[in-house]
Amino acid sequence: GVFSHLEMLEAQAHEADRKQEEKKQQEEKLTSLKERVEELRIQRDRLQAKVDLQKKRQSGKEGVVSGAAELSAGAVLEWKIRSVKGMLQLFYLTGISGKLTKQGVCFSISTAYESTYLDSYHLDLLTKPAVRIHRHSVPVFIPLEQIAKRYLQTDIRRFLSILSDHLNAYAGRKYQADQLQERFSDQLEGSLQRNSLCNLLAFNYKVPSGGKTFPFSARLIYRDICCSLPTEVMVSCTVKAPAHLEETAAAHSELFRHMALHKAFCTFSSTEEKVD
Amino acid sequence: MDISMCHVYEDEIKSLEEEIKLLAEQYEDIQQESTFYSEEEILMAIKAFQSELQGESKGNESRSDLKAQLESLEADLSFLMKFTCVQFTSHSKRTVERYRNRTVQKHRISGKCHSLSFQLEFQLLEMQDEEKVSTVITDLSIVMESGEDANVSKFVSRTEEHGDLLTFFRSLSSYAEWYEHRRRTFLHFKVVSIKLLSI
Repeated sequence: GVFSHLEMLEAQAHEADRKQEEKKQQEEKLTSLKERVEELRIQRDRLQAKVDLQKKRQSGKEGVVSGAAELSAGAVLEWKIRSVKGMLQLFYLTGISGKLTKQGVCFSISTAYESTYLDSYHLDLLTKPAVRIHRHSVPVFIPLEQIAKRYLQTDIRRFLSILSDHLNAYAGRKYQADQLQERFSDQLEGSLQRNSLCNLLAFNYKVPSGGKTFPFSARLIYRDICCSLPTEVMVSCTVKAPAHLEETAAAHSELFRHMALHKAFCTFSSTEEKVD
Repeated sequence: MDISMCHVYEDEIKSLEEEIKLLAEQYEDIQQESTFYSEEEILMAIKAFQSELQGESKGNESRSDLKAQLESLEADLSFLMKFTCVQFTSHSKRTVERYRNRTVQKHRISGKCHSLSFQLEFQLLEMQDEEKVSTVITDLSIVMESGEDANVSKFVSRTEEHGDLLTFFRSLSSYAEWYEHRRRTFLHFKVVSIKLLSI
């Protein structure tokens, strides 16, 4: 009766209030968002104008402008700090970089394959009473102790140089195997097998010939762990195949001996295109 | 209707904030790269900075750190140059591209290793994807003092072709050491032969 009718009206009124409140909140939110967008647009345009002016000035005078009294002493120091940091970054590109510590030096050895820089490794050295390694990030399969035993006490430069040879060769082998897996996975059959030092590789790949593809298998052994090219290569066709494919296997074997793995596979694709 | 407008605004806010961040970084890059302060100006700034600090009643921690930070960095740099025998005599850098996860900088460097001088120009591309930052060298150009040596020019052109900056520096060290040793040996024999001739 009346009571439930009243309840219904009350509920309706509540609901209407709630909806109105919701609507109001949304409108307020929208307005504040809109204001924020305007604010940011103005900030962006101002910054853009500053940068455009800078660029015009920079192109007008090729080279640098003397700082003069434009900036505060603190800002000049910050400029110098950034400049020195920039030079320290250059040492990273040379392969040997480092930082003095309270008890010695922390060296950083960078590795690269041609134009791509790869992982870098750290060596925290203590210098008193004698030079010794405190901490390092050199992987366990690199003969660090051996190299340190021979050179660390007598010739630190030589020690770092030889360690760098090992690390760069490892990084180079790993890079080739990674590139092969990433870029030529359609020519590989199954997974590429490798050990941690990346000086033993085994993989199966497909060789097209006369409209068909033949399965080949390759094993690469890198006995010189300071080298990123293999010392032994075995390539064979895994099924009974026409005689000329034996020549192909021999040719591939030679190729893998003298050319980086991913570059060798690049030549396969390009010769294939030429044949077609 | 209103809800989708909200999303539109929120997306625009996000993209504007990113743009502003990039522009601010660009501004700082250009500011850094187009100014130069000589060593005297730096020394004057250090002095002025120190007197500013003393003037302030409470020593501001972060500000006094600046001087200490500069000294520590310069000590590192000086050590590295002495240790590796590689000295950079000039370095100019110019940010050519700056996007959210991609920066390209053009570098021009001159320096020497032992007594061999070299000049380098290259572009450094830094890309950030997920957690890894990758660094790639492009457009490498090398000029070396002993450029007349056929082996050196062959080495230099092969290195340039592959952008192999790291190998350049690693080989430069040993070559420069050998070159220095040879130079001294020749000088020694020159002196000795002059002495002999004058007897």
